[in-house]
Amino acid sequence: VSELDDFRERVRQWCADHVPPDWRTAQTGVSDAEFAAFQKAWFAELHAAGFAVPHWPREWGGGMSVGEQIVLYQELAAADAPRLVLAFVGIHHAASTLLVAGTDEQRQRHLPAILDGELWVQGFSEPEAGSDLASLRTTAHRDGDTFIVNGQKLWASGGAHADWCLLLARTDPDAPKRKGISYFLMDMTTPGIDVRPIRNAVGDSHFCEVFLNYVAIPAANLVGAENAGWQVAQETLGAERGMTMLELAERLGNAGFRWLVDECARSRSDGMRPLDDGVVRDRLAQFEIEVTGLRGLCRKVVEGHQTGGLGPADASVVKLFYSELLQRLTDFGTEIAGLPGHTVLAKPMSSGWESGAWALDFIGSWEWTIPGGASEIQRTIIGERGLGLPREPASA
Amino acid sequence: MSEMAEFHDELRAVARDLLDKAGDEVEWRQVADAGWSGLEVPEELGGAGATFVETAIVLEELGRAAARSRYLGHVLAVGALTALSPNDSRDALLECIAAGTPVAFASGFTLRNGVVSGRAEFVPDAEGADTILLLADDDGTPTVVSSPEVVVVVQPVLDESRNLAIVTADGAAVSEAWPLPGDPSALHDRAAAAVACDSLGVAEAMLSATVDYVKVRQQFGRPIGSFQAVKHACADMLVQTSVARHLVNAAVARVAEGSDATIAVAMAKSYACGAAVEVAGKAMQLHGGIGYTWESGVHAYLKRAMLNRALFGSPAAHRQRVAARY
Repeated sequence: VSELDDFRERVRQWCADHVPPDWRTAQTGVSDAEFAAFQKAWFAELHAAGFAVPHWPREWGGGMSVGEQIVLYQELAAADAPRLVLAFVGIHHAASTLLVAGTDEQRQRHLPAILDGELWVQGFSEPEAGSDLASLRTTAHRDGDTFIVNGQKLWASGGAHADWCLLLARTDPDAPKRKGISYFLMDMTTPGIDVRPIRNAVGDSHFCEVFLNYVAIPAANLVGAENAGWQVAQETLGAERGMTMLELAERLGNAGFRWLVDECARSRSDGMRPLDDGVVRDRLAQFEIEVTGLRGLCRKVVEGHQTGGLGPADASVVKLFYSELLQRLTDFGTEIAGLPGHTVLAKPMSSGWESGAWALDFIGSWEWTIPGGASEIQRTIIGERGLGLPREPASA
Repeated sequence: MSEMAEFHDELRAVARDLLDKAGDEVEWRQVADAGWSGLEVPEELGGAGATFVETAIVLEELGRAAARSRYLGHVLAVGALTALSPNDSRDALLECIAAGTPVAFASGFTLRNGVVSGRAEFVPDAEGADTILLLADDDGTPTVVSSPEVVVVVQPVLDESRNLAIVTADGAAVSEAWPLPGDPSALHDRAAAAVACDSLGVAEAMLSATVDYVKVRQQFGRPIGSFQAVKHACADMLVQTSVARHLVNAAVARVAEGSDATIAVAMAKSYACGAAVEVAGKAMQLHGGIGYTWESGVHAYLKRAMLNRALFGSPAAHRQRVAARY
């Protein structure tokens, strides 16, 4: 315990020395380029301190225990440090894919590069393949040592800044839909890739459409066997879904909930504080209890992932509970903030999903209940894989 | 697996087996024979020298079985005794408890001039207990008192699996009076945590029964569990139960450590006891007309969950304790 206390003290001191005190103001209403530059600089600072990829294996630059990771995330949240938004897919999804299913060569090529700032995007969803991801239509035809890719990807978060893409494409159109998909690493500088940002409901243009027109990918960039891409994605991303939650749950507990209490403690124009209302206090307590439960579940998922004791739907339980809790909590923040809350027209970029700009945070919460398997899909996964309930009869 | 985890698994398996065979009511003799009556009694006094963590496993299994037993009241009394400084009369009583004497515990009494007075309602398992320990205020000093002259009147409630009573003392003679070191609210925390364990068991049982049922019940030519509306409701029951389990485990650990458990218990009690009512209610809904029959037994779980929610502090009262820190 005392070792963890020492570590906590070290992180706290580091945050005091390194978190830019004015970053929230400076990052509110900034251009996309300024946001990206800030993200890269912050990643480099965290990496220099050894805090960027605590969840990676030690030989690749990580190796923190779950207890240390939790302390790190708690302190970063308590210090209101910026979050790693652009690096997220690289340090979580790409790294996990490479570590579990990549070749040594692929790991050597990309893991150190990610630490040097290489950015990744996920090219999974398509206009006709959302919740039914396995029906994706983007094709990859083998031509010697190269695959030629054609199609369109959607909701590629951070696509405009990405150096590399985790791509799912159909390599066998005649196979059953889950058996004809391959998993590729795609260099975003390859000719034929056209990235167009889409403005989302909050007003940001973080996610993108990606058009793929005769894009050549070397066969060496296949992850796993040809036509085994669906299985690779299932193996690497299911568990990863839980891993990413550890940080987000600590953010919600140590930043989001704390700000909600602060919001309730501010005197209104009539001199009253929401916090003095018993109904408000009851709601706050309920939120704290649920956040506490979430944090415990996240810890269990990460520990289960490390010891092999992870249940088939545990990550879905955490994703579903987090996203809907975030939505309810930011909704309540919006209600408490009242009309003045509606005058907050921009939230600081690089902040967490709960930035204190409640109305925008509430709208932004759908970015958690829809992507990565919408809540409805998670409930189906929990029902079928977690509880063993019968599948729906296949549609015609 | 660690030795401790193996011990817990075994305790759970034995409890589940015993309760499966026992049916709705577990005889006290069975509880004593299983070694549960003296689980937390020190080994040198004939007990198992275990902690509240082990007691919690038995409590959860009793909830899972919705079993009628004398265990809850007994556990609260054992908690009061183990919180006392060791002394001959206390140790003698603990030895009897380890040997199978059932006891109960009630709070809210006053000790004046060597006699005890007061009235407590909804006291678990007081009726038929060999000794009823009373938590009494002795001019500002919390004191655990034993009196042969208390009056016990059974208090019927909707949940027939519980055994509650009104305990009255009106200038009753005192046979023992032990000053309680530490904060008496810890005993209340322990009681609330014990009920939360029971509710966790109720929720787990109702989730499991519902999943089994919707896998086999056919309508429209297929199992109703294949319909999203039903499947998603079951998923929500699992999420709630998982969150409840984490909060209950955290609270149990703190009670067992003897550290201040107030907030962890308030969280566990309010969440788990609320969730159990919702899960049992959803179980009744998903069992359809059968679930509403007396014979199905779902109502017994729902009533137990409802009573648990009200015992030892409502969810709102516990949330107030959490909110007092804001």
